[in-house]
Amino acid sequence: MIFPLLVGIFFLILQTTLLSYSPIQRVRPDLLLIFTLYLAFLFPPISGGILAFLMGYLMDLFSGNTLGFYTVSRPLVFLAAQFFKERFYLEGFSFQSLFAFAFNLLEGILIFILMNAVQPLPLGDLYPLFFRFLLPQSFLTGLATPLLFFVFQKGSSLLFRQPEREIKEGGYRP
Amino acid sequence: MRVRDFFIVRRYYLFIFITLLLLLALVLMSLRAKERKGVEFFDALLMEVCAPAQKASTFVIKTVQGTFGRYVFLVNLEKENRMLKQKIAELQTESHRMEEMRLANERLKQLLQFREKNFPPMIGAEVIGQDPSSWFKSVTVDKGERDGVKKGMAVISPAGVIGRTLKIAPHYATVLLITDYNSAVDSIVQRTRAKAIVEGKGENRCQLKYLLRTEEVAVGDAVVTSGLGGNFPKGLMVGQVKKVDKKGHGVFQYAELVPSVDMTRLEEVFIIVEPLPPSAPREEKKVKKGKKGKK
Repeated sequence: MIFPLLVGIFFLILQTTLLSYSPIQRVRPDLLLIFTLYLAFLFPPISGGILAFLMGYLMDLFSGNTLGFYTVSRPLVFLAAQFFKERFYLEGFSFQSLFAFAFNLLEGILIFILMNAVQPLPLGDLYPLFFRFLLPQSFLTGLATPLLFFVFQKGSSLLFRQPEREIKEGGYRP
Repeated sequence: MRVRDFFIVRRYYLFIFITLLLLLALVLMSLRAKERKGVEFFDALLMEVCAPAQKASTFVIKTVQGTFGRYVFLVNLEKENRMLKQKIAELQTESHRMEEMRLANERLKQLLQFREKNFPPMIGAEVIGQDPSSWFKSVTVDKGERDGVKKGMAVISPAGVIGRTLKIAPHYATVLLITDYNSAVDSIVQRTRAKAIVEGKGENRCQLKYLLRTEEVAVGDAVVTSGLGGNFPKGLMVGQVKKVDKKGHGVFQYAELVPSVDMTRLEEVFIIVEPLPPSAPREEKKVKKGKKGKK
């Protein structure tokens, strides 16, 4: 559990530093979301759920969000991804992209709903964000997902050897 | 009975776990809303663990950028040099004019017996990270509680207002930018002295709220802090009016503002570390109360 958490912190740092220096300022792929989705494929619900919760907590910690919306949304994303992972064919480039795109979009909508539920804002002010940020960000997240999944898969034998074996063993049980 | 309960728990353990996880997240949300010390302590602890890596990463990025900037991208150097020399000449002329104005201002102040206002003490801080999400606008700086930074302190730059401190760790702090939806700064339009609240609108934009329809505001008008909120000193540049709309109904008009500071390129900031003296209207109120008390 510690190693994936450290990997999560590494991605958070990348997201808040290196990706923020990109020419398209605030529109950048959500690396932590991609990592959370990958955790859904690799980890069992409980340990993975706790990891997703911690990823959300870290997101909230470094963002201007005072209440902690990501602590709610990230475990939900993880559990939804776990639910869908066996119902869809997710091996190909396009499917992985679409999967991440859809989850980024859905999480954005969930954050939007939470924001309006907790601290009501004029909706008109937030709608432009869908087109200026959420859609381009979801698109970029979708594009980056196959590449990162490939990197994760290559590194997973080293990083997550233990849980992978556990899943395989669990899968073959009658 | 106990054995049966155990099997029921095992059967629904996943459902119980999900419920507990979401409940925990909601409890955390509630504790944060109430600003409980325990959550703040845990936040500060995690921030202390993660922020040094963030600082190191920013340092590496800046060093690499600096190296490229200094030695590789020197193509337009001559042209830039000529432009800068011209700019220096212009600024020198302006500086002479300003000096004259300063002296005139001092003479007039003496004539009017104005009290000298001291600008509150500030500390410089380096921006070490941006907001990880696209919905919220904040930055992380490398100064915290040990440097005298407290929650709600004003953060500025030479160009104008940046925001206020939101989360504090011993050596680091998160600054909520004025472009965030949760941000509000009491301001006035410099030319007409019309009062308004500058609220964040995401991206690099703000809006002027509660600006009376009867007030005359034009595109290009400068908006400065009123000093009434208690966080920001009076007269700091907030931004320029970009759009004015009086078409709708109601008491207020709509105006959009471009902040004077480019929030997407923040590198160094100043934090005002000492509370500001109470503003004039409050003093007046106290005097009035005192008089009433004497009566």
